Amino acid sequence: MMALLDRAPVELLHWFLGVLGSFGVPAWILAIISALIIIGTIIGVFLGLFALTSVMERKILARVQNRYGPNRVGPFGLFQPVADGIKMITKEDLVPRTADWVVHLLAPVVMMVPALMVLAILPYGRGMVPAEFDAGILYFFAVGAGTEVAVFMAGWASNNKYSVLGAMRAIAQMISYELPLVISAIVAAMIAGSLSPSAIVAAQSGFAFGFLPQWFAFTPWGFAAAFIFYICALAESNRSPFDLPEGESELVAGHLTEYSGFKYATFFMAEYVGMFAICGMFVTLFLGGWQAPLPFLDIVPSWCWFFGKACFVAFTMIWVRATVPRLRIDHLLAFAWKFLLPMSFAAFLSAAAWHYAGRGPLAWLTSLAIVGIPYLVLGTAFTNRFAVSRRTYQFSE
Amino acid sequence: MNCEFLKTFFTDPMKLVGEWFVILPALVLLLSTAAAVVVRNLIHAALLLTLSFIALGITFIALGAEFVGFVQLLVYVGAVAMIIVFAILLTRPDQLTKSGSALSGIGPAGGAAIGFALLAALLTFVFSSPMARKPLPASVSAPVAAIGEALMGDYVVVLIVIGVLLTAALVGAAVIAMEDKP
Amino acid sequence: MTLQIVLAISAVLFALGLAAALSRSNAIMILIGIELMLGAANLNFIAFWRFSDNPSDLAGIMFAIFAIAVAAAEAAVGLAIIILVHRKIKSVEADDASNLKG
Repeated sequence: MMALLDRAPVELLHWFLGVLGSFGVPAWILAIISALIIIGTIIGVFLGLFALTSVMERKILARVQNRYGPNRVGPFGLFQPVADGIKMITKEDLVPRTADWVVHLLAPVVMMVPALMVLAILPYGRGMVPAEFDAGILYFFAVGAGTEVAVFMAGWASNNKYSVLGAMRAIAQMISYELPLVISAIVAAMIAGSLSPSAIVAAQSGFAFGFLPQWFAFTPWGFAAAFIFYICALAESNRSPFDLPEGESELVAGHLTEYSGFKYATFFMAEYVGMFAICGMFVTLFLGGWQAPLPFLDIVPSWCWFFGKACFVAFTMIWVRATVPRLRIDHLLAFAWKFLLPMSFAAFLSAAAWHYAGRGPLAWLTSLAIVGIPYLVLGTAFTNRFAVSRRTYQFSE
Repeated sequence: MNCEFLKTFFTDPMKLVGEWFVILPALVLLLSTAAAVVVRNLIHAALLLTLSFIALGITFIALGAEFVGFVQLLVYVGAVAMIIVFAILLTRPDQLTKSGSALSGIGPAGGAAIGFALLAALLTFVFSSPMARKPLPASVSAPVAAIGEALMGDYVVVLIVIGVLLTAALVGAAVIAMEDKP
Repeated sequence: MTLQIVLAISAVLFALGLAAALSRSNAIMILIGIELMLGAANLNFIAFWRFSDNPSDLAGIMFAIFAIAVAAAEAAVGLAIIILVHRKIKSVEADDASNLKG
């Protein structure tokens, strides 16, 4: 029964295609229909997740900040996304007179396409990879690079100084954080011995001592790489504390300043889908993908685990947003180049040491040392550099 | 859910849509490149160039070199196009549209003439050579594992040299573009 | 489909790159032209690999990967030089950088 539920999406698709096939539909049409169904399902699921997250994010932020959040539309404000959507679509679509309107129009499209395209290679469950191919990780980052072009197009085409400044900041940030992001992903690929996401998930199967899952995040190098990947994922999806391209106190809304109505909604949607995609990548690389955390929990369908873990990672991102203040731009770039990049190299070396020391207790010690010593050195250097003295407020007493 | 169609689409596209899979991105490549070369506005040129880089990457994928295609997209779209755009914005934000004054002696017409002469010569050779009339062999693929082994085996010296070159370029670019301390 | 088609495409791409490098006076456009020519060369490498009798020999692929790496390094250093020149002479026109002209 549970095994059937696990394979339910696949079985449903096969059943449907079988029915169609029995009516004598040719194979190539079946292939196209099957692809369309898969694409439609994935886009539907992720847009549903986007709607859910947009309201959950506001609820969680409100909870952290000790207020109610949206609670008027539907039960617990759950229909808020519907209201927001209607509002967005019916709003006037403003284009500045001096804007380059072709580029201005194309930017949201260019933003949305890579955000949806990267979803093709994530392993959603046991045997559920829409497009399984060798260099899946590389595809993820190569297609993801299109986002930068979209941000630049949006910023430049608006013909607004805030927009250009926001776009330049966003691109500088994305290029800087892309390096540690890719290197920390390569660490997982290196230990798994493959660039294919399903092979990486397979390499994390099994339990040590019968209950400890052998996920990459539970090794010294894997923990370091996962941490770097997580921070860079925050920066890549322009989320707080790295959201200064859109820092409203200094840049109005950055590259989004001149966007309104449906185009703005497209940007917003693409950002959330991109965030979920990178959470999915994080889960695939370091948290065991669709595998259950404990052996007896295996009866829960694998795709539930994938989406559960991805939602949990997204939840921590919202939590971070509510907690950490925004960085300054030079601190942000210095952090990427002077801390994250050396640390990702350390994680890389540590993974190599872990592999060649035989993955036993000795391996644990050496890889822990290779990651820990640079962390202590760099960390002390950084805390001394940006030492903040205790602030005393004159009128606070 | 593991869809054969998409798998074939990425691994062996030739089988699926025939040679149009190569010719269509190549057409996009040539059109966008031509537009990038003639267009006045530098930013538009850079964006069209980005499109032509993407089309070139897709052409590589269509020819079966999946890995090179992705590397092309990652390096060119993610990095090279973006630093070109940065350089354009950093050098002359006030006169973005003013360009095209001729290089002394050659001029746009001269450049185009030399380009056409070279094109004519190349095409003559390409279409007269018997070797170039070779038909497409059965589908080939370059598995990533094989590329990795070649990189770490036969080509390891080249890989190290490239690593040194890239490090030198990184440091050099940072030093060159650094503000002079007064 | 024959090798001719791919070679012709790459020839057109190379000619476009050459025309851009020769006829535009903006240093950034010259650099773009050079990048296009390198792309055309890469297309040839991939084409010859694809149409070779022995596709398990990955020399063509290797050449393309290394050429991409070198092109990226070249673009980074070239644009840094352009930015430096702009800082010194307030121009990116190749004609204006003629201080060393005898």
